[in-house]
Amino acid sequence: MIPVCVLTGFLGSGKTTLLGRLLKSPEFARTAVIINEFGEIGLDHDLIETSDESFVMLQTGCLCCTIRGDLVLTLADILRRRDEGTVTPFDRVVIETSGLADPAPILHAVMSDDALAERLVLAGVVTTVDAVHGAQTLEGQPESVKQVAVADRLVLTKSDLVAENPAALADRLAALNPSAPVLPACFGDIDPARLFDARIWDPSGKLAALADEPHQDHGAHDRNRHHGRTHCFALIRDQPIPAVALTLFLEVLAEHCGADLLRLKGIVDIAESPDRPAVIHGVQHVFHPPAFLNRWPSDDRHSRLVFIARDLPREFAEALLDAIEAEVRETTRSE
Amino acid sequence: MADTVGLVHRLLTASLIAWQVTGRVQRDADRITLTAGAQTLLLARGAPPFRWTVTVAGRDRGVTSIAGLLRMVRQLIDPDHQTSRLRIAPARLVPP
Repeated sequence: MIPVCVLTGFLGSGKTTLLGRLLKSPEFARTAVIINEFGEIGLDHDLIETSDESFVMLQTGCLCCTIRGDLVLTLADILRRRDEGTVTPFDRVVIETSGLADPAPILHAVMSDDALAERLVLAGVVTTVDAVHGAQTLEGQPESVKQVAVADRLVLTKSDLVAENPAALADRLAALNPSAPVLPACFGDIDPARLFDARIWDPSGKLAALADEPHQDHGAHDRNRHHGRTHCFALIRDQPIPAVALTLFLEVLAEHCGADLLRLKGIVDIAESPDRPAVIHGVQHVFHPPAFLNRWPSDDRHSRLVFIARDLPREFAEALLDAIEAEVRETTRSE
Repeated sequence: MADTVGLVHRLLTASLIAWQVTGRVQRDADRITLTAGAQTLLLARGAPPFRWTVTVAGRDRGVTSIAGLLRMVRQLIDPDHQTSRLRIAPARLVPP
C-alpha cells in the first residue's frame, strides 16, 4: 500500500515552502506530488525543486469543488505509469491542496474510490497555519477552520516572524483540534518524520491523544468552541456499546448532521469484541471501515468518541447514543 | 429498564436545537408532544411491529426505530433538509 498524505492550509500559510523543504530531504525521495492551484495558470510546481526520484504534477481549478474526479483520475494515472515504469517507482504521494480548498471532499475522493483503495491508504493530513496571520484567518475564513479541524498534524509556519509564542493562536488550534500536535517550522524547516507519521489507526499516535481528552463536560464557557459554530467535544462511555448501536448511531449522525461532522474519531469498546477495541474514523458522512486493534492500548477501556463539528451540539450526540443504546438493549432483551 | 420515552423526549429536544428548528417538546406521561411551526406531532410507543406511533392531524404513522422516528419527525418539521447517507469507504484505515 502506498501512503497518501494531504497537505493543506490557507493561502500564504507556507505549504509550498514546507513541501519544497521536505522534497529535498532523503526521507522524501521517491515522492509523487500532486499540486492543486486555484486559477488557470499554476506557479507552485515551478517553485519546487525535487530530487531526481520525485516528481510534481499540477492541477488547476479548485480541487474540492470542480475537479475532484480529476484527482481520482490523476492518482489512477500515476499508479498506472508507476506500474509501466514510465515514472519513478514512488513510495508515497503528497497532495498539496489549494489554499482555498475545503479538504473534506478531497479526503472523500481518496477514501471512496474502490480501485484506489486497493493501492493507496490515507496516511494523514498536515495543515499549515501562519503564526502571524493564522488567528485572523481563522476568524474570517471558514475554510481555514475546516483545514485545521481535519488535520492530523498542524505546522505553525513563520514562527520566526512573531516576537513571542502566539499563545492565543495555540489555544485556538488546541480548541479546534486537540488531538493534532502543533509543530513549529521556520522556512519550512521541520523533521519530516514528525509530519506524515500520523498513523491514524495507531494507538501510540492519535489515539494516545484521544486518551488525554478530558472526561468532562465543557459546559457553558466552552474553550473548545470556535466562533460559536465549530467546536470539539468527546463522548465517553463506561459500558460496552453493541455493534449495531454504533452503526445506527453513525447512520443517524450522517443522515442528520453529515455536512457538519467535520471529523469523528474514536476508540470503541464493542460489546461483541471485548478484547479488541474498534477504531473509527470519519470525515463528514464518509467513514473508514472500523479497524479492530489486537488489544487495548492502555488500561483505559472506556469508549471515547471525539467530535470536531460545526453546529452540532454535544447534547444531540449524547442523547442520540443514549436513546439508540437503550433501544438496542430493549430489542435484544425481547428477542 | 430505561425510561425510553424520557430518552426520546430528551433526544427530540436536542434535535430541535441541532436542526435549528424553533419549537417545543413536552412530555405528558407516556406521550410526547412536539410543536414546530404549524405542525403538532404526538408521539407514543406503538404496538408491534412498530415501536413508535407519530400522530399528525389525526393520522397515525408507525415507525420501527429511533432512527426512523427522527427521520419522520424531521421530514415533517424541516422538509427542506437534505440528508446524506453514511458511506463506508473502501479505503482501509489499517494497511495490511
